[in-house]
Amino acid sequence: MKSLLILACAAALPLMAAPQQFQLNLDAVAAKASSHVDVSLSASTLQFAAKFLDGSDPDEAKVKKLVAGIDGIYVRHFEFKSEKGWSPADLEPVRAQLRGPEWSKIVGVSSSEDGENVDVWLRTSGNKTVGVAIIATEPKEVTVVNIAGTIDLETLSELGGHFGVPKVNPPEKQK
Amino acid sequence: MDWLEDELRRALAREDPPDGFAERVLARSRRAPSSPRRWLAAAAMVVVAAGAAGAWREHRGNQAKQELLLAVRLASVPMHHVQSQIRGISQ
Repeated sequence: MKSLLILACAAALPLMAAPQQFQLNLDAVAAKASSHVDVSLSASTLQFAAKFLDGSDPDEAKVKKLVAGIDGIYVRHFEFKSEKGWSPADLEPVRAQLRGPEWSKIVGVSSSEDGENVDVWLRTSGNKTVGVAIIATEPKEVTVVNIAGTIDLETLSELGGHFGVPKVNPPEKQK
Repeated sequence: MDWLEDELRRALAREDPPDGFAERVLARSRRAPSSPRRWLAAAAMVVVAAGAAGAWREHRGNQAKQELLLAVRLASVPMHHVQSQIRGISQ
């Protein structure tokens, strides 16, 4: 009985350590990329990092509030030397997982102007949103994100506009 | 040889210690154990170790913060792009 309990705990350990909601199996993309960023932050690391955010900085204060309900952030970002250095088939292992019943695609945006495509999925449990998946592609960049936990998407998108990166204007205004 | 005998007698003559000599020796022997120095050294080591642990925690914290900010930045930019596109369409 005792050994069974130990076995069950050992089996549950990887699940507890990695609340990642889908496998970021992007070896095909990684093989072609010229550089990549790999960030995996568990709940405990997030809470630890949040303690070092400057509450007097408006953006950092928003991030602090944002991460309060998050159990993990997993990001893979790849850059390529040439345009279309990756192929849509390289992302298929991830997209296949997001076709599962627990995920629903809420939005997909394609821009012919800059070639940027963004797809967003939500993972729900009952009536609660428990995760977000984002696949963003550009001719020379691929970003795959999994945020586990509850997240305010409005605040997240607001941060994208002025969080140390150039603000992306609506296409009408880009002249 | 009288002068030599006189010199030796004078040099080896019995002399009483100065006043308070015994007390001073006893007092110094009481202070002699090096334990206060050891305690000071141990305390200094504790302070240094605590300082190093604090500095390490600060370093790890700032590293984790930078990773968090990078992750949020990479996740927020596509979301902002989506929002901008939707706003653009609705306008």
